[in-house]
Amino acid sequence: MPDAADVYRRVEESGALSSGDIAYLSLARTRAAGEGPPGEAFEPVGRIPAYPRPAVLALPHGREIAVDTMFALIVTHSCEIDRQKNRGVTADHDDCRLTVAPIVPEPAVTLVGPDGEVEKAVSWAAIERNEPVASLYLPPVDDLSEFAPGVGLPWPRAFADLRGLATVSRRLVETDRLCGLTPSYVGMLQRQLARFFTWRDLARHELVEAMVGRRIEAAVPLNTSQDRWRVALTTDDGSSLTVELRTQ
Amino acid sequence: MTRLASIIEDRDITYAALAGRARLQARTVRMLATGETPLDNVAVGTIRRIAAALAVPVAELLEDEPVYPGDDSLLRTERLSAAVRDVMWPRRVVRYPTPVETSGRDEIADLTPDEFFEHMPDIDARRG
Repeated sequence: MPDAADVYRRVEESGALSSGDIAYLSLARTRAAGEGPPGEAFEPVGRIPAYPRPAVLALPHGREIAVDTMFALIVTHSCEIDRQKNRGVTADHDDCRLTVAPIVPEPAVTLVGPDGEVEKAVSWAAIERNEPVASLYLPPVDDLSEFAPGVGLPWPRAFADLRGLATVSRRLVETDRLCGLTPSYVGMLQRQLARFFTWRDLARHELVEAMVGRRIEAAVPLNTSQDRWRVALTTDDGSSLTVELRTQ
Repeated sequence: MTRLASIIEDRDITYAALAGRARLQARTVRMLATGETPLDNVAVGTIRRIAAALAVPVAELLEDEPVYPGDDSLLRTERLSAAVRDVMWPRRVVRYPTPVETSGRDEIADLTPDEFFEHMPDIDARRG
């Protein structure tokens, strides 16, 4: 389980944006009026949670925008952020958005499992070890001023929830950055992102057909669910896809 | 805990009793008290009825206005401090689906980032 000193770093207000920076943001979700999390069946990876206390902006024809104001973690790779910057794009450039993951603090939630039962102890133990594919653990800090000068408050145990990825303007991220992640922990973020997108992204049939004739160089079993296996395949041309196999 | 829940607890009354006095459904009162339905999302008349049934001003039921990102009436550190207090240590707790999968763990969970990316081909920088 990582310590705060292994995970967080101080960022200067005028410093360059990086993957792993944490900022205070408003994240928008468009949805049908009053709609809860999609899907009836519980799916820890695919189900996108509703966050506490959204503000709601009504749209015509039974639709609305739910706005969650919370801390979020930049997951856009630093190379991509630099690429935009190095091309001399201005803040008005069309491609000025960053992808962020909302940060869910322990004091705000009671974690529940598939049957609605409370799973606090089991869940947080797994989250601390970065076992779930959809979360990145963020350890508590006794006094944030070590990483965010002037903010002398504790920071609770939390996790960045990859199920709730959203895009925001980079200008908004620059305004309210709190701190960042250390380079080594950004590596852990990248590992989790790779797992998350591999696990979620079952290949379409035409992608499978396109791989016919290639040599499979690696097959990584990702997860099992009753009679199914999910396996990530990498072929000799470097492309990869995830397939689901029935075991019976 | 919401202000409404706090008042209900102090008065030692049930949702059903309050709902009866306010001529509302008990479920409506419960969802407002637990925060499942924010007060911002219901008709003003509903809040007035509850306030009247509790004999408190409407303002007493409303939550403090949270500080919003970019609020330049506050210094940046003041804004971030208020945000940490409001968002990371809220008074209201909600039920939230765990990200932990119920099926077996994958082996990647045991790898360090260096081990995970060890055989990853270099990124082709020409792709820009």
